[in-house]
Amino acid sequence: MKRYIFLAVIFGLIWCFVHGIININNFILGLIFAPFIIRPFKPLYHFERDFSISRGIKKLPAMARYFYVLIKEIIIANIVVAKIVLQPKIDIKPGIIAVPIRTKTDLGITAIANTITLTPGTLTIDMSDDRSVLYVHAIDASDPEAVAESIRDDLEKYVLEAFE
Amino acid sequence: MTLIETALDLLSNAFLLIGLFFVFLGMLGLVRLPDVYNRLHTTTKIGTLGAFGVMLSLLLKVGFSPIGVKAITVGLFLLLTAPIAAHMISRAAHRHGVGLCDESVIDEYGKVYTRDRKEQE
Repeated sequence: MKRYIFLAVIFGLIWCFVHGIININNFILGLIFAPFIIRPFKPLYHFERDFSISRGIKKLPAMARYFYVLIKEIIIANIVVAKIVLQPKIDIKPGIIAVPIRTKTDLGITAIANTITLTPGTLTIDMSDDRSVLYVHAIDASDPEAVAESIRDDLEKYVLEAFE
Repeated sequence: MTLIETALDLLSNAFLLIGLFFVFLGMLGLVRLPDVYNRLHTTTKIGTLGAFGVMLSLLLKVGFSPIGVKAITVGLFLLLTAPIAAHMISRAAHRHGVGLCDESVIDEYGKVYTRDRKEQE
């Protein structure tokens, strides 16, 4: 029940943003409709797992740091790709690399995969069946070890702190 | 027109220019780069920031009116969904046997995937 109320508040806020007018009427409308949307998609929200709001609040500073890193990396990524596109002769060594990851939860894996795609020179293609390896396409794959190491040290640290 | 309004207007135009420039670069990359995976690099990364810049410019132009709030919501959803679209497109391409370009140096996914398929047969 606590879980339903928490998700309904989030759904209410999202409905306000999608509607465009943020006021109490729209928020309550979203709040009322949220359980009818959550019920059919219940397996997606992991009701069987234990859940506490206080643990979520403790994660907020780590999440803020993660989003700061994410925005910084997105801007760097765009400049890197822009440079490659604007070169008179395109000189790249692309390839697909297997990158082992430590993240275990669904949310953590989604976060790390999306982060990899939005950061310089790398694009997530698939995950192995045992959920321990991500296959990453890199624009510069001449040194696979270095790419895997930069993902592990620069990105995964923040994702582990924020979502595990 | 007050000073703040002028500043916001200028900032909005600057974001619009930056966004459009990046969208242009993304399309240029789509034409110039060799294969589907490299092209996805430009369209997801640059397309996201370009579209986000345009949405931010819209928000600065109209403020927190319904249009501005909707624009920033669209921008945030793009940030979440563009990588997933890229993942699905590249995975489907690889499974249908679209090869990597000739400059490619390594393909660890291809090795694993063909091995799995042989075991199933």
